[in-house]
Amino acid sequence: MEKLILEETEDTPEIILDPEEGKFKISKISVPENALDFYRPVLDWIKQYAEEPNIQTVFDFDLEYVNTASSKQIIQIILLLQKVSEKGDVRVNWYYESIDEDMRALGARYKKLVTVPFDLVEIE
Amino acid sequence: MAKESTNNLFDAAYSLFKRIGTSDFEYVYRGYFNHNITKKILILADKNIARVTGETQATLQKRIYYIMVEGLQNITHHQDEIANDRNFDKYPGIFAIQKSGDRYYITTGNIVANDKVGDLKSRLEVINSLDKDELKKYHREILAYGSISDKGGAGLGLIEMSRKSGNKLVYRFEQLDDEFTYFYLQTMLPSDVADEGNAGVVHSHCSMEGVMSLHKQMNKENLQLLFNGFFNQENLLSLLAIIKSRSNMPLTTIKISNVMVEMLQNIIKHGAKGINASVGVPGVFFLGQTGNETILTSGNIIQDDAAEMITKRLEFVNGMAKDELSDYYDDILLDFDSADAKRTGLGFTDLRIKSDRPLKYEFQQLDGGFKFYLLQTAVKTTK
Repeated sequence: MEKLILEETEDTPEIILDPEEGKFKISKISVPENALDFYRPVLDWIKQYAEEPNIQTVFDFDLEYVNTASSKQIIQIILLLQKVSEKGDVRVNWYYESIDEDMRALGARYKKLVTVPFDLVEIE
Repeated sequence: MAKESTNNLFDAAYSLFKRIGTSDFEYVYRGYFNHNITKKILILADKNIARVTGETQATLQKRIYYIMVEGLQNITHHQDEIANDRNFDKYPGIFAIQKSGDRYYITTGNIVANDKVGDLKSRLEVINSLDKDELKKYHREILAYGSISDKGGAGLGLIEMSRKSGNKLVYRFEQLDDEFTYFYLQTMLPSDVADEGNAGVVHSHCSMEGVMSLHKQMNKENLQLLFNGFFNQENLLSLLAIIKSRSNMPLTTIKISNVMVEMLQNIIKHGAKGINASVGVPGVFFLGQTGNETILTSGNIIQDDAAEMITKRLEFVNGMAKDELSDYYDDILLDFDSADAKRTGLGFTDLRIKSDRPLKYEFQQLDGGFKFYLLQTAVKTTK
């Protein structure tokens, strides 16, 4: 499957979805005005990937700022990863800076809402 | 007459909003200045000036930029010279850029040692006594023979500010204590705007006295950031960058940023755009500190009939306990079907969860079917 790479902008995250390299990562900042439009191609990509995923998928979230509009799109990504897990191993890592309580809380919320293996990973 | 408010900051926000024209703005930063903050303030100011000046005024835009750079460098220069953090905590610097009609006012304020005041004053007097050609000559002389004195590098900067603006420099000295004096410096551009008629009245809030009085108010309420202009995504990102550059409180910075993004994006999305729809939603935003809380206050125009819905939603989140709020948040997070308009959204819910206390709000009636909607959140500050 063709990889999907989106470079970070001032208000949107860097997105790497690369099955060949086995790298799946959403990082940096996600505060777009229109989160729906921004995440649409990402959701579409994962939907397609769920049809025929790698044997193992490790998906990393390493975000600095997330607005609520993005948080609603991210839960959809995680729910799609749950679908991916029907056909392959999936592991989600949610990175948060040790001082960032809000980011940890958001990760904890997602973890609680889904059944896919979900790790909260503290970074210094 | 507007109704009495029990909230000083709401009163301040409303009166600031009322005092500027529909294409005007004023942005003020008060606090510690570092290279990063300076850079971000310049970006915020320059982008807003670019939005309203248009291509024909590229020269003016450049001159304003140049003067802002000089002014900000003056602040950091004086700050470094005195090199004692305690003094800055006590007497933080200030930078203000205001647009009123066709005019731009750049005002800086910072402490200087009392024994430097005399020298600074005489330098400013010399600069203001010279006409355009004399200034040019004076500038060249200093370049050729070195600085007028070794007491500071501000000489050339001041001359250049005066030359670029085409106007006299306006300045005030206010002695603070045995050691320090607060030094205000103001530049106005451009020079070719007619000064007759009611100009003095219209621009009074931009006069040196107007800015000094605003500064006193900011000191009293301990406001660090005052934004009176247009909300749009670009300005939100600039403000976010400024807040991020205040590196002294990383944890609080994250919390403040999260809350600010929700408050301002809510305004950008739902606020009434008014006359200059293309530049954004007119409104006011303050960041201030009270005790161990950072207070975020916003004010913007809404359609008259939106007030009822906003009230209902705010009361809804204010009426819930934290764990109820958290459950409700999960609920909307997973609700992909219901039309967004029907339920209290994630934004308000998130604000209430992150705010230290219930969300305060107020409406002021405006003409023409609009209201001014004020919202306040508080974030607990931890070092």
